[in-house]
Amino acid sequence: MPEVLKAPLVVEFPFTRSLGPVQSAFLTGLRERVVLGVRTGDGRTLVPPVEYDPVTAEELRDLVEVAPTGTVTTWAWNHAPRRGQPLDTPFGWALVRLDGADTSLLHALDAPGPDVLRTGMRVRIRWAAERSGAITDIACFEPYDGDPAESGAHSGEFEDTVTGIVAPARLDYTYSPGRAQSAYLGALSERRTVGERCPSCRKVYVPPRGACPTCGVATAEQVEVGPRGTVTTFCIVNIKAKNLDIEVPYVYAHIALDGADLALHGRIGGIPYDQVRMGLRVEPVWTPGARHPDHYRPTGEPDADYESYKELL
Amino acid sequence: MTREEAPGHREIAVVAFAQTDHRRTSDELSEVEMLMPVLHQVLDRTGLNTSDIGFTCSGSSDYLAGRAFSFTLALDGVGAWPPISESHVEMDGAWALYEAWTKLLTGDADTALVYSYGKSSPGSVRDVLTRQLDPYYVAPLWPDSVALAALQAQALIDRGETDEPALAQVAARNRADAAANSHAQLTGCVPQGEYVVRPLRTGDCPPVGDGAAAVILAAGERARQLCARPAWIRGIDHRIEAHGLGVRDLTDSPSARLAAERAGAFQRPVDTAELHAPFTAQEMILRKALRLGDSVTVNPSGGALAANPMMAAGLIRIGEAAARIHRGESDRALAHATSGPCLQQNLVAVLEGDPR
Repeated sequence: MPEVLKAPLVVEFPFTRSLGPVQSAFLTGLRERVVLGVRTGDGRTLVPPVEYDPVTAEELRDLVEVAPTGTVTTWAWNHAPRRGQPLDTPFGWALVRLDGADTSLLHALDAPGPDVLRTGMRVRIRWAAERSGAITDIACFEPYDGDPAESGAHSGEFEDTVTGIVAPARLDYTYSPGRAQSAYLGALSERRTVGERCPSCRKVYVPPRGACPTCGVATAEQVEVGPRGTVTTFCIVNIKAKNLDIEVPYVYAHIALDGADLALHGRIGGIPYDQVRMGLRVEPVWTPGARHPDHYRPTGEPDADYESYKELL
Repeated sequence: MTREEAPGHREIAVVAFAQTDHRRTSDELSEVEMLMPVLHQVLDRTGLNTSDIGFTCSGSSDYLAGRAFSFTLALDGVGAWPPISESHVEMDGAWALYEAWTKLLTGDADTALVYSYGKSSPGSVRDVLTRQLDPYYVAPLWPDSVALAALQAQALIDRGETDEPALAQVAARNRADAAANSHAQLTGCVPQGEYVVRPLRTGDCPPVGDGAAAVILAAGERARQLCARPAWIRGIDHRIEAHGLGVRDLTDSPSARLAAERAGAFQRPVDTAELHAPFTAQEMILRKALRLGDSVTVNPSGGALAANPMMAAGLIRIGEAAARIHRGESDRALAHATSGPCLQQNLVAVLEGDPR
């Protein structure tokens, strides 16, 4: 079996999320070291507060302040903190019912070890030194053996309210392309383009994805195609892409390599952009060390007959 | 809902089931390459071709392997061109089966292919699953899937309903039963190991792996033509609980109970139950919620503690329960699938064979 290709892949987005009125008040409150709950129609106080009653779906807007002290309702000990979690030393996870609340809030609990943790233990909020209006404005909970703190009577009205959060998310993967695409990439490293033929309908797919989408069967027979091909259709790119050092306008085209039954795409160079046309015959141009053709350029052959590529647009 | 409540009173059955061998990694295969043999197996069992299938529905999540639109690439494996009637859910395949069941109820199709797959090996599934959580109050803390299950297990311990030795017994029983399941990933005598997130030890957690499964549904006489003993879906329902973990009673599963009631599970006893309980404590919660006594054979396949390919493990529960009816080893079985943290969402199907 050929070597399995692998490469690191990082998927990372900063999600920008807007907040509803209750969420906005709660997160603004955390910035000001005030914890707000929301009162339901049957008199319960939900912390963290939500916009709609989870039982009745009633719209909830009646904000009430609760205490920064509370009671653990369940816990777990995390001896190996993971990236992004609130503490980077071993800590407890806990659901905490704050004094004055009827529901529990999930957060980290900083404690010397699992043996001090128990359901029913008293804790208080440790505020983050820098707060921006986010759940992480609570740094964590910590054990607390004093009296319940007095709840203030904050109205829930703030100046300069937080109306949105930016939540960065990053996930790390090890990408492996699978059998068919590994073979394709392996051949490309030798500057050959190798597709795969469907055993049923005999079409040659380039690049191959391992299955024929018409017949639903595995492709396996490898077929070298090209290197020359025909422009089947194209567009003119007028907007410069970030981190891409190509002058605009340029032409990006579908190219049916000779012997392939599926067009792939590539940039067309070596010809003024406004002279590129359907049927133009092209060949790949490689740059030293590249794993893909840099672009395709005209071969100088007569244009291909439309009938020869009309199924490959 | 149960069949009697459904419009048209159409009888629909699971007529075939296939699954991969579930493995820690399948990095030599793309998703469609992993999936395709299972699609061919399940079709072969009925003698159907892809062109005979009236409706196709799949379940998968791009987040697992970090491959955008992976489900469209997977569709290559069913021969989706020219366009077929198909749909996809970003959920476990059990919910894809629910959609296919409703499609067959309408009479628009007589057969359906349902498949799902998950490759957890390219990423870190504990972290990936944090992205399904409340993005305002919970996801920014990155509480991983084991940590949340541990909070649930501790709540059950504190309630006096279990302890660590009892949890270990659940793990041992499932993996012992899995020894007879050639597709399972983790079987036989597996040490409980160290704490992952206390109180859960390695043995309380499902193996992380890659796999796929497929099921064929057929209606009425078509089902009888395709399968000697169809597994008739007598009822199927799914219910969800509040997303706030601190709002829920984590030691109970009212959504599973309600789904079971709505699926008719409590009308007569079942002899078999396939429960999608990735963590040991969750099996105990489900047994209670679903009122499964000691006379019920629970997870003869080994369940999710023996193989837990994300997005497929719930569909596999339905497939395993149906396969036992096909083989004559069960007459009335309950199949359960779950989704989300701490059994947040639950689906229950009741399957029956014709009297023997």
